[in-house]
Parts: sequence; structure tokens; C-alpha cells
Amino acid sequence: MPDLLLTLLRLIFLGLVYLFVWQVARSISTHLGLGGVRRRRRSGTRVALVKSDSQSGATFTVTDSMVLGRSDEADFFLDDPYASDFHLRLSTREGRLIVNDLGSTNGTYVNGRRVTTPVDLNRGDAVQVGKTVMEVR
Amino acid sequence: MTRDLQPTLLVGAAALAAFGVSLVNFAAQGTVDAQVGLTFGTVLVAFGGVFVATRRFAPEAVPHLLPPVAVIAGFGFVEIFRLNPFRAGLQRWWLLIGAALAAVVLAWIARNGLPSLRRYRNTQLLVAVGLLLMPLLPSEGSLPIRGLEVNGSRLWIEIDLYITQLNFQPGEVAKLLFVVFLASYLADRQPALKGAHRRIGRLTLPEPRQLGPLLLVWLGSLGILISQRDLGASLLLFLVFVAMLYVATGEGGYLVGGGMLIAIGGVASWQMFDHVQRRVSAWLDPFGAFEDAGYQVAQGIFGMGTGSLAGSGPGLGQPELIPNAITDFIFAAVGEEFGFAGTVAVLGCYALAIATGFGIALRSRDRFNKLLAFGLTFVFAIQTFLIIGGVLRVVPLTGIALPFMSYGGSALVGNFMLVALLLAVSHEEATR
Repeated sequence: MPDLLLTLLRLIFLGLVYLFVWQVARSISTHLGLGGVRRRRRSGTRVALVKSDSQSGATFTVTDSMVLGRSDEADFFLDDPYASDFHLRLSTREGRLIVNDLGSTNGTYVNGRRVTTPVDLNRGDAVQVGKTVMEVR
Repeated sequence: MTRDLQPTLLVGAAALAAFGVSLVNFAAQGTVDAQVGLTFGTVLVAFGGVFVATRRFAPEAVPHLLPPVAVIAGFGFVEIFRLNPFRAGLQRWWLLIGAALAAVVLAWIARNGLPSLRRYRNTQLLVAVGLLLMPLLPSEGSLPIRGLEVNGSRLWIEIDLYITQLNFQPGEVAKLLFVVFLASYLADRQPALKGAHRRIGRLTLPEPRQLGPLLLVWLGSLGILISQRDLGASLLLFLVFVAMLYVATGEGGYLVGGGMLIAIGGVASWQMFDHVQRRVSAWLDPFGAFEDAGYQVAQGIFGMGTGSLAGSGPGLGQPELIPNAITDFIFAAVGEEFGFAGTVAVLGCYALAIATGFGIALRSRDRFNKLLAFGLTFVFAIQTFLIIGGVLRVVPLTGIALPFMSYGGSALVGNFMLVALLLAVSHEEATR
């Protein structure tokens, strides 16, 4: 009888340990936002690299604000020799996407025209940095 | 996790440890005694204390590093208590001391800021090397600090406090200093180390001049292997160095070079040293070397085999047959008494803690913070891998403490400080 009880208690112990591990794992996944990926994508604006030496086809989503550039510390790394370390900022305000050149050396072009002040972007607009062309989706 | 779940989980971890101790009690004497309450209190005060310190000094720190670590510590404590109640009593104090030191580290960083760790870089390296060399002090003599040889390795020092003697493994603290040093060194030197490579055909090799530090650390870790006969610390230091170099530069060549140096060093030390040879034969064929070094590994396998799926139950197995069951082989003892299910739960906790650590590193924007978080997590992870891998015969056995589980004050103190540093980095990054 005590044997049975001990076995039972042991299994309960193991069960509780697993319950605990599961709780922690779940909390980590919510913290990392693994559950909220789809929702966030809908609220952000997608940008695709349509022309690039090495990054053609890459896409990223602007939800809040992003800095693009050739620096490792930029939010999105641009592999383009004509890009500055921190070349431009893409930000969303009230559902609109805004491009802001950060005083880059070689400039930012929207639909072929160089921009120096913050400019609203629409779907299908082409943003060019050096030899890289991005399209707003 | 909402941050508010963390205290609940920590109480849960303490309750689990107390439950485990009550099972041990129950198996031994049919009743429970005061140890259950003491265990609950100790784990709760230790980890609750670190939690309160985090709230006070690093409120933005990630909330899910402490809970898995608390469960690991609780699990280890149950097994230590079951094997050696006297040592468990000491471990209790070490848990509290370690937690207090973690709080001190958090408070110090809150006061001075993480960047202050980057000052006095060379002093840190010197202190680390000094600590590593300390066990080589003569074991006889009038000095208040003496080197001590335990199980053939010279890792311990004995500090004479006139009232009592304190044994300590200075290498456990040296590891942390080494990581902090490397993080600040590599953060400053990154541009120089990056892109300094030479192409030979399709192979990219680091510039020979850049391999200098690599060779130096390699020689240093071989020196530890020779002078202290400690395979674990020697391998750990070199692996951490290579991994951090790779992370800082992204140059795969360092991994190739480091791997080759490990291979050369491994084969050479296998041929030259008896103690390495015995480890390797115990790894390849523990039952063939049963009379010698294979005994421990073989007993561990017997234990885990007996434990089967759900274990024999705490207090009902015979893990005391495994030599060093409360230190190096605690994983095998858990495997015997809690079975495969218990070991997987332990591995799960380690995986969660390590994933959280790497997550902190990935999210860090500051180069020094990133390297520091990576290096600390890597030290934690590689120790876990080396010793569990050694017990399971994945790699040759290296005498390293299983973080937060093995009995051992110095390791516990070192690992508490490691966790405190990780928490401080995550707080700093969240508030930048």
C-alpha cells in the first residue's frame, strides 16, 4: 500500500514538473510574440526588395519604425555599396508609410525622384537606394 | 508572461522542491519532517530574494529566466538531500549565499551601469588568470591560502580563516571574468577582426596575424590541462573563446581554425597524458574499463537503466553506488530515481533557460551587451552539455559541475552571478 502511494506521489511530482515546464515555455512564446505574428503582419506594411545584388526577393514588414542601412546595427541591413550606414527610416503613422532620408551620401529616390524631406508612400511606389530597389506592397 | 506570473512560478518551484524532499522523507521513514519546510523556505528565500532584487534594481529584466533555474536548483537539491543530507544542509547555505551575491551584482550594476564592466579590462584578465593559477599554490606551508588536489585535479584552494577553513574553486569565478573581458575586448576590436581574412581558392581563412590571440588562448587552455589536470575547464575556456570570436566577427574561419586546434590539442593530450587516455577509454568502452575509470560511467548507465521511464522513486533507488553522485553524476542519480521522464524535464528546464539567455543576446543592440549575454549563456550551456554529455557517453567525461544542480558552493555562487549579469543585460537593453 505505501508502495502504491509512493508511486502515485512520484507520478504526481513528475506531472507537476511538466506542468511547470509547460507554463514557462508558454510564457516565453507569448513574450516572444510567436502567437501574434499573423496579427502584426496585417497591421504593418510589407516592403519587398525587387532589385538588389544579393537580396532580391527579401521582404520585411514595417510596423512602427525601421532604419535601413549598411550598418549591422540598422534594423534592416542593406547589402549595397552605395547605401550609407543609416540610410533611411521607414515609419508608419495612422496607417500610412513614410520614408525619411537620414542625410545619406547617395540619396534616396522615390519613383525616380530624389527625396530630402519625409514623403508619404503608396502601394506600388518604388524606393531606390543605390542599386537596390524596394517596392511597397 | 505577464511579469506577475513570475512570483507564482517561483513559489511553485519552491513547492516542487519541498514536495520532492517530502517524497524522500516518506520513502526513508514513512513520515515527513521539518526538512520539507526548510527546503521550501530556502528555495523561496533564495530565488524570491533574487526576484525582489530584480524588481528593485532591474525591473525590465526578462521574467522567465529565474523560474526554470529555480526548478533545476530544486530538483538538484532533492537529489542531494536524498544522497547526503549533511551536504544538502551546506548546499542550503550556498543557495542563500549565491542568491545574496546575485543581488549584490544586480545592485552594483544598477548603481554603476553595465558599461562600467568595460573599465579595467586588463585587470579583469589578470585577476582571472591569477584565480586560475591559484590552486597551484603549495598545499603545505604557512600561507593562509593553499592549493588543494581533489580527485587528481588541482582546482581547489583552501582558505584558512583561522576560525574555520573554506574550500573554493576559484575557476568558477574566473570563467565569468574571462567572459566579461572577452566581451569588452571583442566589442572594441570587432572592426579590426572582421574582414581580416585571406582567400585561398574557395576557402576563407583569417589573416595569420589575427590568429595570434587564438593560439595564445589555445596554449593557455593546454596549460590548464597540463598543470591542473582539468579537462573540463581547459575545454570550456577555449570553446567560449572560439564561440565568442565567431559571434563577434561572423567569420566561419575562426570556427574551422578553432576546431582544428581542438583536434590537435585533443589528440596530443590523449597521447601524452594518462588521465586523458583513461577518460577516453572510459567513454568508448566503460564496461571494458570497469575496474578503472569506466566504473563511474558504467554505474551511471546502470542507474539510469534501472530508473527506466518513470524512475524508481526518490529515496528508493541506489544512486549512492555511483561515485560522485551528488556532483558530477547528479544527472545519472536523477535518471535513476525520476527516470527518463525526470531527466527530460530537467533538460527542458535547461533548454528554456538557455533559450532565454540567447534570446537576450539576440535582442541586444549594444555590441558589448550582446557579446556578454552570448558568452554567459554559452558558458552555462556548454557546461550543461559537457557534463550531461559525459554522463550519457556523448562526449568523454569532463569533471564539470552541472549548473545549479550539482553540489558545490563555488559553482553555485558563480552561476548565480552569471544569471544576475544576464538579468542586468536584459534590463539594460529593455530600457535603452
